[in-house]
Amino acid sequence: MTTLDQIAAPNRRRRFGSLTLWAGIALVGIHIAVGLLTVVWSPYDPSGMTGGRLEAPSWLHWAGTDRLGRDFLTQIMIGSRIALIVGTGAAAIGAIIGVTLGLLAAFATKLLDDAFAATLDILIAFPTLLIAMLVVAAADTANLGSAIFALGIALSAIVARLTRILTKRVLLLDYITAARTSGTSWLGIVFRHILPNIWPTLSVSFALQFGLAAIAEASLSYLGLGAPPPNASWGRLLQEAQGTVYTAPIGAIAPGIALVSLVIGINLLADGLRDSVDPTRRAR
Amino acid sequence: MSHISRRNLLVAALLASVAVSPAVFAQDFDADATIRIGSLYEPQNLDNTAGAGQGINEAFNGNVYEALFQLTDAGAVEPKLSADYTVSDDGLVYTFTLKQGVTFHSGEPLTAADVKYSIERVTAETSKSSRKKSLSTITSIETPDDATVVITLSTRSISLPYNLSYVWIVNDAATDITATEDGTGPYSLEEWRRGSALALSRFDGYWGDAPTNGEVIYTYFTDATALNNALLTNAVDVVTSVQSPDSLAQFTGNPAYTVTEGASTTKELLAYNDRVAPFDNVKVRKALARATDKAKLLNFIWGEYGTLIGSFVPPTDPWYVDLTAVDAYDVESAKALLAEAGFPDGFEFTLDTPDYDPHPIVAQFLQAEYAKIGVKVNINIITANEWYTKIYQEKNFQATLQEHVNHRDIVFYGNPDFYWGYNNPEVVKLVADAEAAGSVDEQTAKLTEANKLIAEDAAGNWLYLYPQIVVSAATVTGYPVNGLNSQFFAYDIEKAK
Repeated sequence: MTTLDQIAAPNRRRRFGSLTLWAGIALVGIHIAVGLLTVVWSPYDPSGMTGGRLEAPSWLHWAGTDRLGRDFLTQIMIGSRIALIVGTGAAAIGAIIGVTLGLLAAFATKLLDDAFAATLDILIAFPTLLIAMLVVAAADTANLGSAIFALGIALSAIVARLTRILTKRVLLLDYITAARTSGTSWLGIVFRHILPNIWPTLSVSFALQFGLAAIAEASLSYLGLGAPPPNASWGRLLQEAQGTVYTAPIGAIAPGIALVSLVIGINLLADGLRDSVDPTRRAR
Repeated sequence: MSHISRRNLLVAALLASVAVSPAVFAQDFDADATIRIGSLYEPQNLDNTAGAGQGINEAFNGNVYEALFQLTDAGAVEPKLSADYTVSDDGLVYTFTLKQGVTFHSGEPLTAADVKYSIERVTAETSKSSRKKSLSTITSIETPDDATVVITLSTRSISLPYNLSYVWIVNDAATDITATEDGTGPYSLEEWRRGSALALSRFDGYWGDAPTNGEVIYTYFTDATALNNALLTNAVDVVTSVQSPDSLAQFTGNPAYTVTEGASTTKELLAYNDRVAPFDNVKVRKALARATDKAKLLNFIWGEYGTLIGSFVPPTDPWYVDLTAVDAYDVESAKALLAEAGFPDGFEFTLDTPDYDPHPIVAQFLQAEYAKIGVKVNINIITANEWYTKIYQEKNFQATLQEHVNHRDIVFYGNPDFYWGYNNPEVVKLVADAEAAGSVDEQTAKLTEANKLIAEDAAGNWLYLYPQIVVSAATVTGYPVNGLNSQFFAYDIEKAK
């Protein structure tokens, strides 16, 4: 019995792991498809005041209308696009800045590296949203670009720390010493040995960062610091629905579900990715 | 008294006045009741000359502090601490006789010196009072005896009694009134817990009729939904001003609550910087006015509530005339006017939009409306503080949205240095002449004329007049329904036993 269980367990986990991966891909895929669709088509003109005030869901307006009589489904769909743009943009900026800084720190002298690690710890101690708010406040006007940039900066500290730790671990391995003694340049070591080695773990981190950025953008927009109208960010939709939550609850529920489904999708995707790249979780 | 439409304002006022009459409900109310008032407007401090915000008027005007005159909830100016006054023939010297037997909460009697001190507090260099300018014609204040105040003016000022209704009479011995008080009103300050509540208790030495309740607590909320929930859970008795029609659905038709719609003086304004192109061109301003479907906007924002206005003057001001027909909604003529003004393909401008409701949603409406005539609106969301510095002080903007709460504030259009920079010499003269008028009729005629001129010039785009909606538990009656200048007199409020 015992023997059978021990053999069966990793298999079950593996099957479950691939299931989470596929569920994640499906959820995120829906958002990507919807986001791409809105570039060429949406049910209504997003700023077209085609209906009455706060209409209930109907055949004409599947999710009803907002206070200005605009089709709510259209806004939610465009919200997918905004969330994806911000998530991708912020994760990319965070990755570029974070990985560069992390690599530099790992290669630096002990003193510099310590100072760097301490700075990162301080930065990470601040909530992502707070740092993003500071960056937006420093910029003159709030727009989609400033929100992406702010979140990218805020996320880069986390990436930098992870990159630094992973790189240092790889640097201790024998084949790096071998590469060094054989005269490979630092850049060569980074691109040929380090990045391919730390990439699987980093990619999981990027997926998580993407989810964080999507939530943080919604929070920024909720506070009026995100993309300005008419960009239909889910956070702004939630904020605008706040006063009408009793009379038209769908206004708060729909963007909430959209945001949650994207973030859950991303997290499942990240979990699935980790299971497939993490050697300790891989089925033997 | 269930929901009352704006068409029945008079009826509402009548009903309210019946409701406060003690003879009708004698002994039906608890004379020592605590009235809990829920509000969104916590004062920044307790001094109305120190930038305390509208919340201090709500809590203190008429309740803790009194003035020589009082602006009643119906809009009339009545004597309060002034027993009588005379005006010299040239209109430059006002002699006020003070009421006898009035004491401050500290126990000191009211004297002419206190009145002089209080007026000078408002006109002082350091004062942040919005009414400072309107009292600038005062050249001297004399106090020949303890009960007489003589005010001399440089030019005639027919609104002096009205303007004095904003001047709290403060004990001249009081040092710092930003966190304490020493007034003559029917309530004294019991406790102020910053960020949460302000409690007033009945002042037993009050010179006039005693309040019909024992204590008043203003509880402050930052979120309208939380405020409504407080009323639903019986944590407050009255909500001073409901800011969205959607929360009303919970109260209308429910016999446990009373919803009243009174006359507000709060105007939603799209203000242009009339100094800068293209808004210095009257045709452009008229075109934008004609491209704005205000009826549709009002319906989107307030449902069945609120009133359309054709200028800056609400119906409660004496110089109101219906000007909604001037530059009425007409997209085709708007396009034609834009073409005449040299913008056949429209133009682009930045709309600085305060970040709180309803401005962002109004901005989106305008963005969609103006796109129809080729005008591109870029919405720039700013905070209330940024609005004050960037727009009010530095006048560095193209167009902005703002709610203007004051009563009788058409005079702002007679000041070319005001933030919107409207400068029509005719209006400037009419506003000045109205102030120097010999009679109220003359003043009214001149300001009515000015009112028509600013409407013809489309000096601003007056989108709509907010409704003033008060919701209370049905057991509570006698509160003001109009809330002019954000006042909320609490002394006639009765709570059923």
